[in-house]
Amino acid sequence: MDRQPSPLWTHATTKLRNTGTWRSAMPEYRTSLSPCLGACPVNGRIAEWIGLLKSGDVKGAWLTLVDNNPFPAIAGRICHHPCEAVCNRQQMDGAVSICSLERHVGDIAMSEGWSLPEPEAVGKKSVAIVGGGPAGLSAAYQLRRLGIKVTLFEQHQQLGGLLRHGIPSYRLDKNIVDCEIGRIIDMGVEVELCAEVGDHHALQKLHDEFDAVYLATGASRPKALPVLDYSKSWVIDSAEFLTVTNAGEPCRLGQNLVVIGGGSAAMDVARTARRLGRSVKLISLEPEHLLPAQKAEVDEAIEEGVEFVTGAEMQSISKDGDSLILECMRIKFNPGEERGRFTIDPVPGSEFQLRADAIISSIGQDADISRWQSLLDNDGTVVNTDNLWQTSTKGIFAGGDVASMDRFVTQAVGMGKQAAAEIGRYLGQLPSGETGANTSQTGFSDINTHYFPPAAPNQQANLEVEDRLQNFNEVQLPLAEDKALAEASRCFSCGSCIYCDNCYLYCPDMAITKLQRGYEVISDYCKGCGLCVAECPTGSVVMLEDRQG
Amino acid sequence: MDMIDYPDGEQFSPGHVACAGCAEALSLRVILNTIGPDAIGVVPPSCTAVICGGYPLSSVSIPVQHTTLENAAASASGIKRSLNAMGKPDTTVVCLAGDGGTYDIGLQALSSAAERNEDILYVCFDNEGYMNTGGQKSSSTPLNAITGSTPAGKLSRKKNLVEILAAHRIPYIATCSPAHLSDMSAKIKKAESIRGTKVIIVIIPCLPGWGVADDAAVKTARMAVDSGVFPLYEVEDGVDYTMTINTRNQAVNAYLKQQKRFRHLSDADISDIQADVDWGWEYLLDRAGK
Repeated sequence: MDRQPSPLWTHATTKLRNTGTWRSAMPEYRTSLSPCLGACPVNGRIAEWIGLLKSGDVKGAWLTLVDNNPFPAIAGRICHHPCEAVCNRQQMDGAVSICSLERHVGDIAMSEGWSLPEPEAVGKKSVAIVGGGPAGLSAAYQLRRLGIKVTLFEQHQQLGGLLRHGIPSYRLDKNIVDCEIGRIIDMGVEVELCAEVGDHHALQKLHDEFDAVYLATGASRPKALPVLDYSKSWVIDSAEFLTVTNAGEPCRLGQNLVVIGGGSAAMDVARTARRLGRSVKLISLEPEHLLPAQKAEVDEAIEEGVEFVTGAEMQSISKDGDSLILECMRIKFNPGEERGRFTIDPVPGSEFQLRADAIISSIGQDADISRWQSLLDNDGTVVNTDNLWQTSTKGIFAGGDVASMDRFVTQAVGMGKQAAAEIGRYLGQLPSGETGANTSQTGFSDINTHYFPPAAPNQQANLEVEDRLQNFNEVQLPLAEDKALAEASRCFSCGSCIYCDNCYLYCPDMAITKLQRGYEVISDYCKGCGLCVAECPTGSVVMLEDRQG
Repeated sequence: MDMIDYPDGEQFSPGHVACAGCAEALSLRVILNTIGPDAIGVVPPSCTAVICGGYPLSSVSIPVQHTTLENAAASASGIKRSLNAMGKPDTTVVCLAGDGGTYDIGLQALSSAAERNEDILYVCFDNEGYMNTGGQKSSSTPLNAITGSTPAGKLSRKKNLVEILAAHRIPYIATCSPAHLSDMSAKIKKAESIRGTKVIIVIIPCLPGWGVADDAAVKTARMAVDSGVFPLYEVEDGVDYTMTINTRNQAVNAYLKQQKRFRHLSDADISDIQADVDWGWEYLLDRAGK
């Protein structure tokens, strides 16, 4: 019998073999929330813009920032940055200095003179916005982007609200306020200055004339301390003090000042007074670690010579010639369950006296809601809104300090953005309904820290104390370019793919293809080992159970 | 972070039958793509034989001779000499062997080839045992490791193949890890540029043989390097030692603890291993002159 020898050579590649049948789980690419995004008041896509900054695309980073917040240079200076408190890198060697990076990008945008992207042409719908502070401006910007005709009514001579009148120049230079507001106006927002919408009749008129109204009048009515007589020349409220001093007008108060309060405004007042050459004592009910002001503000105030008298209450005042005698007492401060719901217990026998020439009261501000009383329901503190920021009158929306007790600037910006989206839906300019938002969050354990060598945070420096007290120059100095890039590269980019190719190259089965931007799993070959997940630096791939049909 | 840098191509095909998560497969991918199409492979019985072969299919694009366990280096020498005689001196001849076919059964062929300084590239995928046949110990298995044939832990230490080869004064010896792919590719490229016998030893954490998770091969290899258990270095002409990474950043404990084959170790055993690794590390640094 004629036997054929077997052929020596193989005939085909193993591509014919479907090793995908081996697996019980398959990787899936997904962008999940970084903790910073979850904490950001404007839901800024932080990992994304830091990634663009890292890659050298500063303009792209800025455009990503302004998608959610038209004020990167402002927020980069004064945001309370809750993002940094939850940054995953904190668990390794310190949070990424996100706020400083935002300022870095915002400052470059200003010096390069970048404009906001051209908005859609104005259509038929019109919205009136009452109040030109952070919330109103943010809403105006977002609404204008949707092609809505926006008219902004501002009672003062200039736009900005708290940004202009409340925050001193040493924290936020007014040129920055002018620039970032100017860009919004340049998009074609109509502005009516010195246009006070004084009562519910005026508001009703706007409601009749426009398709929708957004009310963002802020909280401009100072809270009053019962023991103080505000008609006296030696008592002044913080808002008035800051408006006057921010406008550069002289301060007529005496040499020795006492500030009452422990929030950001109290710090602003105390530090402004120090720059005007005054001696300043600050009395707060809260002990130092519970002060509502940000820690950096307190630290800087202490550096600048503000004397803190914490955990104390002023109980009465008497005059001794031109000088005031403040009768004070130590108290025990109980913070309570919710913010603002504190109680205090005086400590018996702890009475003490302070002397002063004048008192600046800085215990917070209420929204002036009584003027809308017959049109808009309120809860006694703020205007009531539903979860779509709609008030009790259909078509009137509200946000910012007038409708919320969340009183940080960027929270107002976020509220303005949310309301703009709701108004857009109300006017049919945006599709209704929620998009299927991905709510999974990337934790520290999802990050492969091997790919991020240890590197201490690059923090911005402050002006030397002696250089601060002579003027109102900005205290925070910018991050140098190289420091900013080094800081950007510390970002784990939690939950956002950085296109590093690790998943592609570590796959033993060549079961991952590169797409134009991103990757795809080839289910024919993936054996489900999970190496791509383990070696992903950013936690952008997850294993999901695979029942194979 | 640094991006992995090597020329990925189509030299290695999916559909091969390596275990899910096998670091040898991903290392083969880097090595074959770095060498490119102008090459002939020689593969003795090993995991590589299974991964490349499975007649009538092949996962590798270059022609491969499946040879016997004893003589990968001898086969490669013959193929290389034939190519030279045919006027094709630029074709790379690469052995792709396991530690059984290198440290044990193929050692005399390798030693002879090294002694003659045959112009071949010899890659040893060192998974520290005969893992393809059920996990028996080889002379590369480390002290105390449990294998199918050392149920209470191996009684002797791992053979130091680099030193054996260095004694042959061959032009290039290097160690590689699947957690350092750019380095692996660079060392293959460097070896290809050198005439004579080049040997590259790649540490391959064997998932079933060492008892580590399906997704942990790269991590385990990284820990082997970071702890100094498997240092990355090069030896040129048998005498010039260069450390690829000259720092260690972790103790051996974490590396040992995540492998089932070492789970029985006592604290005293671990500190003995630590002392041995420390000694070996200092010795290498000393040889490298830093």
